[in-house]
Amino acid sequence: MKSILKILALILITTGLRAQNIVGEVEYRYKIFYDKIYASLPHLTDQERDRILLSWGNPDGYSTRMKLQFWPEKSLYTFGTPYQVQSYSWQVEDYFIENNLKEQTYLKYMDQMGKTYLVRDSLNAPKWRVMNEIRDILGHMCMKAVSEDPIKGQKITAWFASDIPVPVGPEEQFGLPGLILAYDINDGMLIVEAEKITFGEPEEVIALPKKMKGREVSGTEYQDLVQDFIQTSIKSKRAWMWELRY
Amino acid sequence: MKFFLSLLLVLAITFASQAQSKLTISGTVKDTTNLPLDYTSVLLLSPTDSALVAYTLTNKSGEYQFKNVERQPLLIKATYMGYLPFQKELVLPDTDVLEVEEIQLKPILQELYEVVVKAAKAPLMMRGDTLEYDASKFKVPPGATLEDLLRKLPGMQIDANGNIIAQGEQVQKVTVDGRRFFGGNTKMATQNLNAESISKLQLFDDKSEQSKLTGVEDGVKEKTLNVELKEEAKKGGFGKVSAAAGPDERWNANASFNKFDKVNQFSVIGYGNNVNQSGLSWDDLQEFRGSSAFQFGDTGDFGFNGGGGNYIVFSGGDNEESFEIPFNNLNSGYSNNQAVGINYNYLKDKKDFSSNYFYSRSDQILKSVNSRTNFLQDNTSFTSTDQSRQNNVAGHHRVNLRFQNELDSANTITLTAKGRLSSLNTLLFSHQELIRSTMEQSQMDRDNQSDKWSGAFQGTAIYRHKFKKSGRNFAASISDTYSKADQDGTQKAIVDHLNSTDPNTYFQSLDQVIQALNGSNLIKSSLLYVEPIKKIFFWETFYNFSQSTSETNRQVYDVETSDTRELNPELSRFFDNKITYNRLGSSIRYANKGSNLSVGLAASNYRLNGEFSVVEGSEILGRVNKSYLNFTPNVSYWKTMKGNKRINASYAMGVTPPSIADLQPYKDISNPLYIREGNPDLEPEVSHSFNTGYNMYDPATFINFRFSFNATFYQNQVVQNQTINPETLVTTYKSGNASGGQRFYPYLGFGFPIVKTKANAYLYANPSYNKSLSLINSIETETHTYSHNFGANFDLTPLEWLGLYAGSSFRLSKTDYEQNPSQNQDIVNWSAYSNANIKLPKDFYLDVKFNYNRYKNESFGFDQKVPILNASFYKLLGEAKKWEVRLSANDILDKNQTISQYAGQNYVSTGRIETLARYFLLGLTYNMRGIEVKARR
Repeated sequence: MKSILKILALILITTGLRAQNIVGEVEYRYKIFYDKIYASLPHLTDQERDRILLSWGNPDGYSTRMKLQFWPEKSLYTFGTPYQVQSYSWQVEDYFIENNLKEQTYLKYMDQMGKTYLVRDSLNAPKWRVMNEIRDILGHMCMKAVSEDPIKGQKITAWFASDIPVPVGPEEQFGLPGLILAYDINDGMLIVEAEKITFGEPEEVIALPKKMKGREVSGTEYQDLVQDFIQTSIKSKRAWMWELRY
Repeated sequence: MKFFLSLLLVLAITFASQAQSKLTISGTVKDTTNLPLDYTSVLLLSPTDSALVAYTLTNKSGEYQFKNVERQPLLIKATYMGYLPFQKELVLPDTDVLEVEEIQLKPILQELYEVVVKAAKAPLMMRGDTLEYDASKFKVPPGATLEDLLRKLPGMQIDANGNIIAQGEQVQKVTVDGRRFFGGNTKMATQNLNAESISKLQLFDDKSEQSKLTGVEDGVKEKTLNVELKEEAKKGGFGKVSAAAGPDERWNANASFNKFDKVNQFSVIGYGNNVNQSGLSWDDLQEFRGSSAFQFGDTGDFGFNGGGGNYIVFSGGDNEESFEIPFNNLNSGYSNNQAVGINYNYLKDKKDFSSNYFYSRSDQILKSVNSRTNFLQDNTSFTSTDQSRQNNVAGHHRVNLRFQNELDSANTITLTAKGRLSSLNTLLFSHQELIRSTMEQSQMDRDNQSDKWSGAFQGTAIYRHKFKKSGRNFAASISDTYSKADQDGTQKAIVDHLNSTDPNTYFQSLDQVIQALNGSNLIKSSLLYVEPIKKIFFWETFYNFSQSTSETNRQVYDVETSDTRELNPELSRFFDNKITYNRLGSSIRYANKGSNLSVGLAASNYRLNGEFSVVEGSEILGRVNKSYLNFTPNVSYWKTMKGNKRINASYAMGVTPPSIADLQPYKDISNPLYIREGNPDLEPEVSHSFNTGYNMYDPATFINFRFSFNATFYQNQVVQNQTINPETLVTTYKSGNASGGQRFYPYLGFGFPIVKTKANAYLYANPSYNKSLSLINSIETETHTYSHNFGANFDLTPLEWLGLYAGSSFRLSKTDYEQNPSQNQDIVNWSAYSNANIKLPKDFYLDVKFNYNRYKNESFGFDQKVPILNASFYKLLGEAKKWEVRLSANDILDKNQTISQYAGQNYVSTGRIETLARYFLLGLTYNMRGIEVKARR
């Protein structure tokens, strides 16, 4: 799978900008439903689940705008412009993902589990299963693909546009024969969906922070940390999704 | 493009492993008109689980090639915009080269693509020949039938006879969830099925019934429409009933039921007991209120406040003045409590309506012993004791309504209405004794009774507008609170005959009838405008207005003989007052990357007007006419840092005007022992508060740390100057201003795991210092209170079946009287708790709680220990664990009582209330959702 990506990347890179739709920027709406996620925690009783959904259920979820920029050789992903200008600033967290398709490596600079991490490793695509279903997203016919994240206990349903043959996507999703324009986790606990696609070189390329201070770990080390964090939280009957990107 | 595609062909895309017998797979993709399709994605999948094996794109001639494909069962799939994805299983050749037969992609019926996929945003699913899509994405009016829905769908027609024509062919049969519907009569199905209950429609060519039976393919295909019904729309319901009884006629019962779907939430709840529980539990309250359980910010007050922070206070008591439903409330004394409530919420689109009605009633008996020692200036003191028996019967009806409508993305209105109606009947018998010395003692017996009705209504409307420019906001609010209380009562007091003739005696004999009618109305309105400047600065301007008008009419009659009453002009009062408040303020806020700094200034004006007379219309005894103008600065800083660390610092100036009662220019002797004298020269009280804090939480190690420090300095603090007449012992209070009062409140807390997930500890210390000033017998008196307060909590959950919780706190309050050091007080409150939750085999559980409180004041020889031991043993029954049998023993040691201790500026008091002690209950609970076992707190 790794070599597929590498070669496809190479093809796209060498063809350069000839193909119009291999460079561009996508704005995604990252819509998370904390009530549903919280209610799915294993230590809750049925009545507690009902109580949570009943008293603080939010049918609209909680939205953040995210931004992906893609080229044949790489993709950059971080927060987009907020939907609303807020007169109180909460956010200090960084969240950057850079996928280098030429070198087949990635870099993630993010605040997770109370610390800042700098994760570098080689790209390793999830095991995708391509399904027989199509859907239209912003005028692009997308095919359905599914995969699983056993550590977080997530069932991922992604929709990729085969007419945008760049194997990248939002968050940690990539490795499909086309740009991932939408995906959801566990039937709607998280819904990430493209709202706007602009082809061509982005006006302002996402810049990683000049100083990246954080704990440097490899991808496997980071996965171990995540696994340990989730397991400890479950054992302590605490919710892990407040501190870890879902 | 040409170069790109040729390169694509040259490069093989497959796994790079070194297995033998690698395959080369190639072929072409064309459309139905035989034109080659370039740029088509061709995928190789594993047929068992559709796992992606390899993929590539076709070149200009529609050609594709995979090289070095591992030999394994494969499925080839081609997809191109606007065409139906094609897939088929490959038959692997014996050789290493596989030339796949030409793939022909069929265009998706344009209407289908436009209407279903694009317009209705319904995913289209291919299952062999079947095309399936989500019919629920098509909007149909409520009550519409399947036929109405079909008319909307592309490629479908309903002819004059009601037959379905799909893609030009008549549909032969309709099945529901794969089963024939009423013998396959299509019209029967289309005209009877409700469109809203349909989730998916599938159209395919089914084999004829004949061939299905014989198994012989007869080539006859029947156009079939399958209707998949929605799973039962999200609906739920839960409820529980619980009843327990024990010796001494102790009982406790409660029941609740909730029913909800996406739009409606309905719940009823009720309880009754004689074990002092006079409110809902926190969980029951949440369930009862449903989506309206957490709604804050409906007060409509805008702008910064003088306290320096915003707090949400949860207080659960069944307070007469409150519109809120009582919760987590345990009464003192002995009480008999009942309540019933009903709640209904409606949530649809951008409309949100919630409503509830709650009635609670409590019949309480309080037997208490209070003792109060007052210090006189000559270092002597006198002590009064009070033994009383009080019976309160209170009933409260409460109604809460709230409606919020997001009219569009820019405008929101919120309307709330709250109402309450209360009745309160009180009977009080008390025996008071006054001890000055062994020589001088007197006593009084009181018999008071009062009946009170009160009602209040509050209505609030808030309008919020977001301008097109993001961050520019406007909000306006208006509210009105109206209340009325009507009280009738009698007061009788008989003093022992030895002193009764002396008019200056501490105790006086009374026989009075009291009638009081109080009313008030408060109108409030606020405006707020926020203008963003460069997305990181915000200019906030606000205006607050409030006007409260209140009228107090208290008439006291002396009962001369059984049918003659005479108005007592010294004790009867009519007053009428009005407080008008105007504030205009502005602040600049900087908000960026977690830092928030706000600097603001407000000008506030209070106008106080009041008039006092004996009865309405009689000669005016006094008038108050004051106006105060103050400028109040406000600075606050909050910073959120990486790693869950927060730091804050703020300064706020608060202005509190004197109460009208404190300004009233005459002596109020309505309580002859405590005479109040107003002071028309009072200045408003000014407070300067400084707050700073830091807190951090590390989610990976579970370590948390909290620190805060609050300091308040008072200027012109309104204090009560007390003069005690050494002869009559009557205290006269006169309000005055004093500057120099101070309060310091540091807090330090540290929590950490001893063994991660198994044992946690939290240690804290919150000492405080309080300096207060007053004039006592015309001498300026300083009182210093140092409180040394610290504690620790431990949570141990070593095993899945065992939870242990223990903790202790210790407080020593040292009160030092600058002018009277001999009266210094050391009050100790020490408490400890431990709690064990044990899960035994076979669904048996044991909970044991032990609480220990010790109250000590050495200078009085007061030392009270209250150890309380509770235990309950229960078992869950049934497969779904919906039943529970519980035996509980409360206060096994039979020691319960309610204790209070307080050291004031020139007095010390202690109180004891006899409270329900040991009792046992045996109970049964049924919970529709299964019993909740709280093995951990």
